[in-house]
Amino acid sequence: MQIKLEAAPNKAVLKLNGRFDFHSHRDFRTAYEDAMQETGVHEIVIDFQDVDYLDSSALGMLLLLREKSEAVGKTVSLTGLQGMVKQVLEIANFGKLFTVTG
Amino acid sequence: MSPGLQTTPALGEEAPAFRMKILIADDTSTNVRLLEAVARKLGHQVVVATNGLEALAAFKAEEPDLVFMDVMMPVMNGIEAVKAIRALPTDKWTPIIFISALDEIQDIAQGLEAGGDDYLIKPISPQLLRPKINSYARQIALHRKVHGYAEELTRWREDSEEQTRLGAHVMSRLTDAAGLRDSMVRHFNIPAETFSGDLLCAARAPGEVLNVLLADASGHGLAAALSAMPLTQAFYSMTAKGFPLPSIAEELNRKLIAILPTDRFVAATLASIDVRNQTVEVWNGGNPDALFLNSQGEVATRWASRHPPLGILSEKLFSGMTETVVFNEPGDLILSSDGLTEAENQAGAWLGIEGVIDILGQAQDSGARFKHLLHGVDAHLQGKPGRDDISCLMVSVPIDRRRQFRFATPKSIAQSQFAEWRLDLSYNAQELRYIDVVPAALGLINQISALKEHQGALFLVLSELFNNALDHGLLGLDSATKSWIGGFEIYLQQRAERLAKLRDGRVELSFLLHQDESRAVFDITVNDSGPGFDYPARMEASSALSETNETAFGRGIALVKTLCEQIVYSGTGNKVWCRYVVSDLVLDKNNDIDASLGDKSSPAGGSEDQGSHPI
Repeated sequence: MQIKLEAAPNKAVLKLNGRFDFHSHRDFRTAYEDAMQETGVHEIVIDFQDVDYLDSSALGMLLLLREKSEAVGKTVSLTGLQGMVKQVLEIANFGKLFTVTG
Repeated sequence: MSPGLQTTPALGEEAPAFRMKILIADDTSTNVRLLEAVARKLGHQVVVATNGLEALAAFKAEEPDLVFMDVMMPVMNGIEAVKAIRALPTDKWTPIIFISALDEIQDIAQGLEAGGDDYLIKPISPQLLRPKINSYARQIALHRKVHGYAEELTRWREDSEEQTRLGAHVMSRLTDAAGLRDSMVRHFNIPAETFSGDLLCAARAPGEVLNVLLADASGHGLAAALSAMPLTQAFYSMTAKGFPLPSIAEELNRKLIAILPTDRFVAATLASIDVRNQTVEVWNGGNPDALFLNSQGEVATRWASRHPPLGILSEKLFSGMTETVVFNEPGDLILSSDGLTEAENQAGAWLGIEGVIDILGQAQDSGARFKHLLHGVDAHLQGKPGRDDISCLMVSVPIDRRRQFRFATPKSIAQSQFAEWRLDLSYNAQELRYIDVVPAALGLINQISALKEHQGALFLVLSELFNNALDHGLLGLDSATKSWIGGFEIYLQQRAERLAKLRDGRVELSFLLHQDESRAVFDITVNDSGPGFDYPARMEASSALSETNETAFGRGIALVKTLCEQIVYSGTGNKVWCRYVVSDLVLDKNNDIDASLGDKSSPAGGSEDQGSHPI
């Protein structure tokens, strides 16, 4: 999976591309830790537009991100949900844990 | 080669990368001295042999790392010696370098074919010998390292296989529950690895309600199996005590929150099937839709996942809210893990929940459905192993209005073993909002050994009486609502809303176990602070109900009437008393034996005295 970090005012957007699974662990953590260190960033947006597969360890990584950002007072939102990704996140009711936009 | 470059290997002379033991076999002492000098200078250890036989013996005894072997030697020549050495059993690679004056191609070929790794022609130059030895030292060091890793890996694999074998054994014992052999339940669980991270449980609650659980821990294999384990015990013990499904869901979540790391969770579907009341109650957090198929194979109800999986939300944010549906025809309840819906065929296409429904619908009848699904999954996988654990639990739900409760005939109690017992409980509005009163009371009742075997019947009686007191007495719910189509769901919704708002009121429970003539009886009194109801009219209506005209609200009290000897309303109808017959009291036969052993007191007389105590 490729991760592109895009900065917008007050927020950091992580654009994910490819399969979000167990192998993405280190890359994903590095990417959000970088984003979290930016003091101007209040919100971390995960963009799933180009993600075609998501497994349960990816859900676990999102839960870790949620815990870490809560600890530093930042919010996490999910965007670009489509296809299989949308289905998996809906069944897991992640809409109750994260802000979902679009 | 410039003199400057020659100093480079010299630097390594004091401390070689790998200190070898070198066996030199040569009958010419000048050759031995030359080889020995170079080898020692490079920091290696040397062992010398002067013929092939000695070389073979030294090889066995000293286990050298590298061998220099002359070809023409007395007693046994080098070729024979190398053949013998190579015939020895070993898993260690030891290079052998022939050193010989024989320089014909066939001599060299013969040496290499005998098992030599290299062939140097005499006279040997020390300048060539040094880099040669260094090169072998590097190769051997690398080889030993790789060999060490391979050995470690083998040991690790053997160890891991042993652990897995043991784990699988323990896990199968821990998860094997008699409840899964219930005649209403069928199930399969196909692991992706040795262990399945999917866990299936089924057990009967005291009132014969069937509770089932299908849990899918994130990931698969041992770690996943371990994360699902704590659920078993909590599920079984809470079901046995008669706790309602939302409380079980809350407890399972609490357990996992305490144990699992943040990024691990367990998707779960809990269901409670009440044949008597014809209801199916479901809590689904993170699993595919639970399905109820009627006898035609059509989906009558589906319960989508309404909650995040277990082990994510804190106790405060977690919701144990369930959805209850009344069924009016027999059918099958189907729970599955996402391994089933995400099972891939060769082309990578998922079976999907619609695929599951298709397969189930194609079965001839309810009896064939389970096998049909199992075959359907097999056909879809096309021999490809599942990427995830695939599990499914199916409950065949009958319509059985005439269901008779068959409780075992109680054993008589010996009078000498019998003692009176009483318990009074009182719950105010605040407690009623969060305490599961019936399981709590039943837990206390069950500690009395005379009552233990009656827990099923007592659970039913107590549930009816308590629910009437709370639902009608305090919450003012109208039973008639239940008889409308879709009314039961409205009733449950109103109940939840009103209970959450309940601020005043009280329910008192009194239990008295005592002797009534030659019987042990258990009196239950339930008293609520509500306005009561017109019980003479209702009792008359209830007794006028014909067997075929029984309505949902009449069934509850009708059941209490069949289980209890007497039921009496009093006050404004806010107080109900009933008497349950526990068993006959008999003279203790063992007392005769006791008496013969020296106890000369009259057991019969003593017991009668006890029995005639005023209550």
